[in-house]
Amino acid sequence: MSAHGRTEGVVLHEGRGLRSLLADALVGARFVPVWIATAALLLIASIIAPAALQNTSWAFVLPYMTVLAIAALGQMLVIMHAGIDLSTPGVMFLGGYLIVGVGHHSNGRLWIAILACLGVGVLVGLVNGILVGILQLNPLIVTLSVGYIVAAEGLRYANGLAEAEVPSRLSDFAQKRPLDISAVFWAGAAITLVVALLVRYTAPGRRFQAVGANPRAAWMAGIHVRAHVVFAYTAAGTLYAVAAALLAGVRVSVDPAFGASYLLAPIAAVVIAGASLAGGLASATSTWVAAFALTLLNQMLLILGIATGWQFIVFGAAIIVGMLISGDRIASLLGRLLRPRSTSTRIAPALDQDTG
Amino acid sequence: MDVPKISERRRWLLGLCATVLAVALLAVAAAFAGTANKSSTTAPQANAKGGYGEVYKADPKVLAHTLFNAKLLPHNTMARNIALAAFGRASKKVNYNLALKCWKNDGCSTGTGGKLTVAYVEPFGENVYRHISKMEFILQALTYKSIGKIIYRTAHSNLNQALADFRAMIAQHVSAIVTYPDFADAELPVFKEAKKAGIPVATYAWGYVSGPGQNYTTVVGENVCKLGRAYAAIMNKYVKSGDIAFMGGFPGNPLSAGWQKCEQPALNPNIHVVANEPTNWDASKVQQVVSAILAAHPNIKGWSYEYGLGMAQGAFQAYKAAGKPFNAVLTLRTDDVGMGCKTRALKNPKLKVYYYTAGNSQIRVALTALMMRLKGAKIPPTIVFPIQLQNEAKRTECVPGYPQEASATSLVPLKLLHRMYP
Repeated sequence: MSAHGRTEGVVLHEGRGLRSLLADALVGARFVPVWIATAALLLIASIIAPAALQNTSWAFVLPYMTVLAIAALGQMLVIMHAGIDLSTPGVMFLGGYLIVGVGHHSNGRLWIAILACLGVGVLVGLVNGILVGILQLNPLIVTLSVGYIVAAEGLRYANGLAEAEVPSRLSDFAQKRPLDISAVFWAGAAITLVVALLVRYTAPGRRFQAVGANPRAAWMAGIHVRAHVVFAYTAAGTLYAVAAALLAGVRVSVDPAFGASYLLAPIAAVVIAGASLAGGLASATSTWVAAFALTLLNQMLLILGIATGWQFIVFGAAIIVGMLISGDRIASLLGRLLRPRSTSTRIAPALDQDTG
Repeated sequence: MDVPKISERRRWLLGLCATVLAVALLAVAAAFAGTANKSSTTAPQANAKGGYGEVYKADPKVLAHTLFNAKLLPHNTMARNIALAAFGRASKKVNYNLALKCWKNDGCSTGTGGKLTVAYVEPFGENVYRHISKMEFILQALTYKSIGKIIYRTAHSNLNQALADFRAMIAQHVSAIVTYPDFADAELPVFKEAKKAGIPVATYAWGYVSGPGQNYTTVVGENVCKLGRAYAAIMNKYVKSGDIAFMGGFPGNPLSAGWQKCEQPALNPNIHVVANEPTNWDASKVQQVVSAILAAHPNIKGWSYEYGLGMAQGAFQAYKAAGKPFNAVLTLRTDDVGMGCKTRALKNPKLKVYYYTAGNSQIRVALTALMMRLKGAKIPPTIVFPIQLQNEAKRTECVPGYPQEASATSLVPLKLLHRMYP
């Protein structure tokens, strides 16, 4: 190699190093845009809809954003493995009615009722996981179908119930306000922290991430890929059931529309938070922030008194914009821009020489 | 030439014969006319006491139970008769075991061998109110020996499914269809198809679709415009001035649009409607909407809405979460037991609740109107019940023994309600 080539090599190596560093930083910071967007939303709210940032509004926003966040965490685990889960409303619906029906107004039966709700979540998640992870069926179709079946069973079960209220201990818990903030919020924050720590800082969590990032490489490394996929759906179903229990406590009662609004909202929260639908890395805390932003936006539109039709348009547009500027897309774009061009530069002269 | 004169005697004889002949001819003509009139009437004759297979009489206790007041019947004579006939049937004994089986199985054969099939098509069907309406329909149908089959379909808030259900009933050539058109004029095409197929259709609870009497037989309910004015009268009297809000069901549904359109102009100039939001009759959405409106307008003094229990489950929670006392005037359409009980539990004298009947039993009137239509009766395009709002403080909705989501003005017997919801 000539001295010139060596110098070139050194320069190229340093350039590649800097670009790599930048690319790594940006990929690592793919979850930043949702935080920036949420900060911007809070700023806008303080200017045009300050009522959205008052106690009266927080009393609704914080518990409901928590329910959405928990459901979104479940969805996040599935999306990390390039899957999708549309059974969320069905699980929440049946789970909510089980709390009412099994609980039967008795605080003594509350824990059995909650266990029944969680059991349904685990079971439905397991079924989804087996159908998608082991039988390799399309997750969109399978989870939608399972969701319908579960919802139908929920309707059958609910038809025999005239009372719709949960045991009072659950609703009392939901109405507690430690440090003047909803107890549901604190419970959700704790769950999010646990999920974030498990996924990021434990060996099983790292293996879980690895399967999502590159299933083939994970398989070659000896990781049981299918077992992790089954686990993802099972954990997701469990989290949906937790969301149902929290929502039932906040609502005090369950009705035929219970859980209906949690079909696409959790998916939107996960994607806006920076996760890719093709699988890979995701952030529990960013998902939490995205759920907060979506709930706050909804509340702002109501406070502003915007006509219902326009509320749907603004909300939909916000989700599209959120996806356009999501960290996943920005990281992907910047990664392409910062990719080293050294390979193409070294090949080109050789080609020139050949074609001469 | 001279014409021979007729003798006077003969003249009298001729005149007498002509007179007798004329009278005879008149008598024959009258006899034929009477016979012709009789043969052209195929429908049973109606009189003030009954007709078209019905008796226009109902137990005053039944009327008072379901209408609040036995005198709150439609003003139109035929509409009034239909209502009396329908509520009169509510006192008839029917097989409750069969009714329960029919209710659980979404339909059944009545076992009478009757040739008629009646259908209740539900676009929504999700809550206890609709389930009770379903039982009211079944109980009413079981009073007719001519009805051999009862069909029930629910679309679970899916418009396409609702239209498909309707078309399925038309394809099965059912005799009559009762429905509540949650999707309003979006359901007009299937109403027209039913009419073209010769199947009479009626709605209840003022489920208004364009062209009653033309596109379908009749709509039963209260005059929702007068309901709105009744709401306004309450607000004018007890709010006097300040901010109030409207809430409705599904966007564009006829019930909400009807009363809102009439309440607003009837309000005092000092009362301002600061918000008007749909809630899909979902308590969760009610909580969100109330929370947002309360945040934007902390001094709101009144709420006009339809769904009493939704208000109790949603709005009460919103106020509680916000740490505010529920000092407001509420005007509501449904008399859910749960609303009354939760209001009583609050023990807040500054909360004033005025309500109307949920109107479950109006479905009975709708079905009876169609049965009379099948016998040739001319049914008025609207069967309208007068409105009288009740004061919760004086006449509570919280009736012991009733399920919380039920209406105490329903004509489903309490024992049967307990079997429906053990």
